[in-house]
Amino acid sequence: MKRIAPIDIAGGILVVAFLALLPMFAASNYLTGVLTVCVIYGIWASSWDFMSGLTGRENFGHSLFIGAGAYTAGFLSSIWSTNPWISLPLGVVIAIAFSLLVGFPTLRLRGPYFALAMLSASAILQRLCLIFWEYTGGEEGIYGLDPLMKTPLHYYWFVLAILVVTVIVLTLLAQSHWGLLLRAIRGDEATCQAAGINVTFYKIVSLMISAGFAGLGGALYAHYQLQVSPPLFSVVVSITVIIMVYVGGIGSIYGAAIAAILLTLLTEMLRGFGEYRLWIYTLTLMLILFFLPNGLIAPLWRRLTERLR
Amino acid sequence: MTDLLEVNGVTKRFGGLTAVKNASFTLKKGEFTGILGPNGAGKTTLFNILTGFMQPTTGTIHFNGELVRELAPYKVVNRGMARTFQLTRPFVGMNLLENVLVACMSPRASEDKDKEARASYLLAQVGLGGRDKEPVETLPYGDLRRLEIARALATRPDLLLLDEPFAGLGSSEIEQLAQLIRRLHREENLTILLIEHKLREFMALVSRVIAMNFGEIIAVGPPEEIVKNEKVIEAYIGKTEEAHASA
Ligand SMILES: Nc1ncnc2c1ncn2[C@@H]1O[C@H](COP(=O)(O)OP(=O)(O)O)[C@@H](O)[C@H]1O
Ligand SMILES: [Mg+2]
Repeated sequence: MKRIAPIDIAGGILVVAFLALLPMFAASNYLTGVLTVCVIYGIWASSWDFMSGLTGRENFGHSLFIGAGAYTAGFLSSIWSTNPWISLPLGVVIAIAFSLLVGFPTLRLRGPYFALAMLSASAILQRLCLIFWEYTGGEEGIYGLDPLMKTPLHYYWFVLAILVVTVIVLTLLAQSHWGLLLRAIRGDEATCQAAGINVTFYKIVSLMISAGFAGLGGALYAHYQLQVSPPLFSVVVSITVIIMVYVGGIGSIYGAAIAAILLTLLTEMLRGFGEYRLWIYTLTLMLILFFLPNGLIAPLWRRLTERLR
Repeated sequence: MTDLLEVNGVTKRFGGLTAVKNASFTLKKGEFTGILGPNGAGKTTLFNILTGFMQPTTGTIHFNGELVRELAPYKVVNRGMARTFQLTRPFVGMNLLENVLVACMSPRASEDKDKEARASYLLAQVGLGGRDKEPVETLPYGDLRRLEIARALATRPDLLLLDEPFAGLGSSEIEQLAQLIRRLHREENLTILLIEHKLREFMALVSRVIAMNFGEIIAVGPPEEIVKNEKVIEAYIGKTEEAHASA
């Protein structure tokens, strides 16, 4: 069991305090909104990193869990008009159900089956939303979800708190014996078997945990946008999340969360560049990933704080 | 004494190649047995089958009276049969302690509550004491073999399968490792099955030898008899002649 270094705790507190106070300095609902989306991406990215970053089994369809959580919230809050707070636990449950559906048959196999099954499952769900448009609202999606809180600022703080809990829980798990096994699975599954470890079980449970947090993030997103639509299931969302994790430093969890926040902010700031936006964004990512194959955030933080450990 | 392991008519074919041909033998509790055979005789394949890493084309294996044929490898380990790999397979990026710790997490080791203490103790047992935090990347071959043994021991095996633990080691290293294995056999009440392709190395170690050639068991007996066995001598001389011819 690894101990979390005091410098990491201090750094974490500083970053969270900064994020919490940021909207106070420039009070605008626009900034608060952008930050809310940033933080939700942080939940998505760190939840991806927990399973795929630690076990090395890449999940190309994290949007399946995100969308499942979001649509659960959409159906519950808008169509069945339940109390919006029910969305969160049920979004988690439904996302976990999907993780079992895909993970159970494919995580026992070696090779690319799991990655491809995740990709296809998310694509299928996106199609199903269009096919069953009478229930899902088709392209338009579902409108009129109830907000969870009165003001955007309160909601931002709430979502930030959830991100903090997510990162703490996932980091503690990653540093525990459990996390050690997940990293061992990434290293060599045959050796794990020889060590008497049921690798399939650990992969499935870690996917369930990953899916649960992603579903929670999806439901939070739905209650921010007050609307859900099929692109939530899209491969673009999945790939964006994966890139965030790589920029953050794979397997670090906090790195994924911070990279998600920074990259989401970057996309927003590039809005001024109009059509060049995508070019600049893509180029930045390619440069980072090309020159820093281990990522930017976590390696940088480790380098900066080397002497303080 | 009861049979701990009972192998019955095990055959393994890879396409046209029969790597193991109708192998049958038994191991009694507490026995120290060696499997001898030149490279390519099918020894590792036999281990892979015993431990569930491969399914036999035909044949059955009973361990502790239970059919192990279609069990996943980790289940075989948790029934009490642990192995090492011929080509050592440590977890890269982890230190020695963590490498053993993984196996301390197996269900069979659930009684060991303090996993760190147990892993540390096992490292000391195999002669790697006090080096818990060392990374595995810089470990010499002999130490990697010891690490593999510590990891196998962490699962509290009844039967330990060692795949060529001496390969690539110098003679003093071999002697030290042999001492360790002998001690484990004596003190830990382990049944051991050890693969070796050189006759000399383990003649003083094992009490019984199963000799293989081209996938077949060609002789079984105490080492003194095996060294005199015609088929065994032929297998080895045949090999050397081939080697000379191709050289
Ligand atoms: N997975 C495999 N696929 C095909 N052939 C294999 C495989 N594993 C081993 N073999 C073949 O089976 C024979 C026996 O190999 P092996 O069991 O490794 O021999 P040994 O351990 O006695 O040196 C060799 O001819 C080898 O090439
Ligand atoms: Mg071999």
